[in-house]
Amino acid sequence: MMKTSPALRRRTLLLATPALAMPAIGRAQETFPSRTIEVVTHAGVGGGTDITARMMMVHAPGEFKQELVVVNRVGGSGAAALAYAASKPRDGHTILLITQTHLLTLLRGRAPGLTYEDIVGVARATEDPQVLMVGKGSPFRTAKDFLEAAKTTKFKFGTTQVGGVDHLAVYGFAKEAGIQQPTIVPFRGGGDIAINLVSGNIDAALVNPAEPEAQIKAGDIIPLLVLHEERVPSIPDTPTAKEIGINSTHATVRGFAVLKGVPEDRLAILEEKLIKAMSTPLYQNYLASTGQAKGSVAGRRVWQAQLDAFYRTGREALAELGITR
Amino acid sequence: MIDFLAGAASIMTPELFGIVLLGTMLGVFVGALPGLSGSTTAALLLPLTVTMSPIAAIAFLGAIYCGANYGGSITAILINTPGDPSASATALDGYPLAARGEAGRALGMAAVASTLGGIFSVCVLVVATPLLARFAYNFGPPEYFALAVFGLSMLGAVGGAGALKSLIAGCLGVLLATVGMDLTTGVERFTFGIPDLSDGIGFVPVLTGLFAVAELLDQSTRLDERVERHPLTAAKLPSRQDFRRSGKAIGIGAVMGTAIGVLPALGATTAAILAYNEVRRVSKHPEEFGKGAIEGIAGPEAANNGAVGGSMVPTLALGIPGSGTTAIILAGLLVQGVRPGPHLFNEQPEFLYAVFSSMLAANLIFLCAGLFMAKLFAMITLIPNAFLWPAVLFCSVIGAYAPNQAMGDVWTMLVFGVVGFFFRRHGISPAPLVMGLVLGQLVEESLKQSLIIFDQSWAGFLGRPIALVLFAVTVATLMAPVLLRAARRLGALRASG
Repeated sequence: MMKTSPALRRRTLLLATPALAMPAIGRAQETFPSRTIEVVTHAGVGGGTDITARMMMVHAPGEFKQELVVVNRVGGSGAAALAYAASKPRDGHTILLITQTHLLTLLRGRAPGLTYEDIVGVARATEDPQVLMVGKGSPFRTAKDFLEAAKTTKFKFGTTQVGGVDHLAVYGFAKEAGIQQPTIVPFRGGGDIAINLVSGNIDAALVNPAEPEAQIKAGDIIPLLVLHEERVPSIPDTPTAKEIGINSTHATVRGFAVLKGVPEDRLAILEEKLIKAMSTPLYQNYLASTGQAKGSVAGRRVWQAQLDAFYRTGREALAELGITR
Repeated sequence: MIDFLAGAASIMTPELFGIVLLGTMLGVFVGALPGLSGSTTAALLLPLTVTMSPIAAIAFLGAIYCGANYGGSITAILINTPGDPSASATALDGYPLAARGEAGRALGMAAVASTLGGIFSVCVLVVATPLLARFAYNFGPPEYFALAVFGLSMLGAVGGAGALKSLIAGCLGVLLATVGMDLTTGVERFTFGIPDLSDGIGFVPVLTGLFAVAELLDQSTRLDERVERHPLTAAKLPSRQDFRRSGKAIGIGAVMGTAIGVLPALGATTAAILAYNEVRRVSKHPEEFGKGAIEGIAGPEAANNGAVGGSMVPTLALGIPGSGTTAIILAGLLVQGVRPGPHLFNEQPEFLYAVFSSMLAANLIFLCAGLFMAKLFAMITLIPNAFLWPAVLFCSVIGAYAPNQAMGDVWTMLVFGVVGFFFRRHGISPAPLVMGLVLGQLVEESLKQSLIIFDQSWAGFLGRPIALVLFAVTVATLMAPVLLRAARRLGALRASG
């Protein structure tokens, strides 16, 4: 895919160094952006979020008339990436590609010197809806039957990291659907969850639809309910929560953000050009092929509102679950 | 079969074949170099593979693995210094042969036996993988727990440096595996507030430290030492008589090596040592061993390359590495987004068969290389240490830093370099530590997951037949020495009575 070679990236970094050394005065009058833009991600090279950044970057240089480079700062669930961004001037030349995980890291005080108020959303990049799924051995074939039974039975739900984004989604969904809080069985990744759904070790899980695509096709995993405004194209027969009268939407999201202090006019430029770069067929194809929602790309207002909402509910959920640090 | 042919065809592109050729030659090169093992090289080059396609990346790492296991025999034979730990048994008879001026015969046998062992194991891999695929969904947390316990039960045997020392290293590895955010509670353990540690201790920096940096420190303590060298005439094919003598040894080595390699906890070094013992045990003239018996090269060389194919089985089918190098291959798979596990055989057979084909090709490549260029390889050892080791350190630092672009990983590497140096000084093998680090996380997480699934009841394991079988095998392995002794005593009693 569109991977910049490490050598190439290093060269662009070197080219960017003289610009860094330039005095701050005079830069205000310059056209923005005036040098290479760094896109900081917490994912390693080839990770999901890293690929999102690189997909956006295919057409972004043409929009910005500047080079863009990905900076991978792995570690601490986004803490390393946040710390790196905090070490850079807040002039718009450093943008973060964040996920809900970054917000949880901030929420739990794991990013020294930064709070949620420092995060300013610029544009949303991907939105991957969560879908309630069961294995083929499950007696339930519709969401209604499952949820009815879940009112009296404590089911086992497979998730990733306890206290992580997926866990909070299960917690929120159970509250919104009025079912018993399920027992959480944490796994390392979506693949393990899929295998254990098929083998019946867990009763259900909230999964992004693209992950167990092979198993859904084979009938080994049955999607019951889409926790999104619209149905998912790859599983057109699965109803949304709204259709059966439950107000519950959960998704894995990624989007661009900067740290507070970047001037308003530069924010507007970043928003406009990023959205343009992500409106190209190439990026939209990438969204479709990875099962992301059609309306993934969204501007500042939508994205900031979503971040605020997630931060609010996340804080409540973590407090209720007793996970604060 | 059609899948296999399709896979074989897919590596016949110039690009992929070139990558396999490069990987094999590199593997032979570093394998021959004492201290620079296949696992170190694979770890160093792991970041490089990130930019390759998944097939190219794994074919490259697999070719290094195959080549290094053969390359180790070259220096083991020529200068009595195993270039790779797995060649330590080869030195026992190879060096006496070389000392008699028969280095060519010894090197030739090593190349042929390695290739035959390697090809046998890849054939087993090709035939057995469709069977392994059926296990697809039978491996849940309880089964992984049983498997991890089985692997950990062999910690004491894995280093070959005395059970107690190996257990100490192994326990240290298990303890290190607890560092980082706990999956089941979301609580950070032993991170001391350092963000770099919250995802656990990185595997690549630990390996680079334990192997490469520790060797550098070790080398730096004996700069004045001179290694005895012998002239090498030519690497000629062993005679027909040599083959007649060694046929059985190659057979034993290939079968034992593959079988031992399949066990997640055991690797090429153990396989070679056990095969050497077995070949000597069944030989008509065991008194020649240690003085230059050609079978003494054939057996362990077939075994350590047999173990290469064998150890790919648990790596690919279960996501559990059987050796240091397969642990890095596993990391390479994960970096590429290829999730190892039984489902690979259903979902991506062409990927697997391309990997197997590239391993077959690697075996044939190093056969040619071994026969025609052994003399050239031996010159590696002429590079002065003052140039060689600083270069190795330079590569190590880059290798540790690159994947996460984190200085924390470099510090981890340096710390484990000192740990590895200390280990060497006290005759402790780093292998059990690596195993403990890999299996420690698995054993803990799978137990916690199992207990959640069983509603905190240990009795739940009784309803899992695969787990029970694995537990039974574990107990049997641990009890084997005791049972054997009892049986022998009983036999002696009967004979005397």
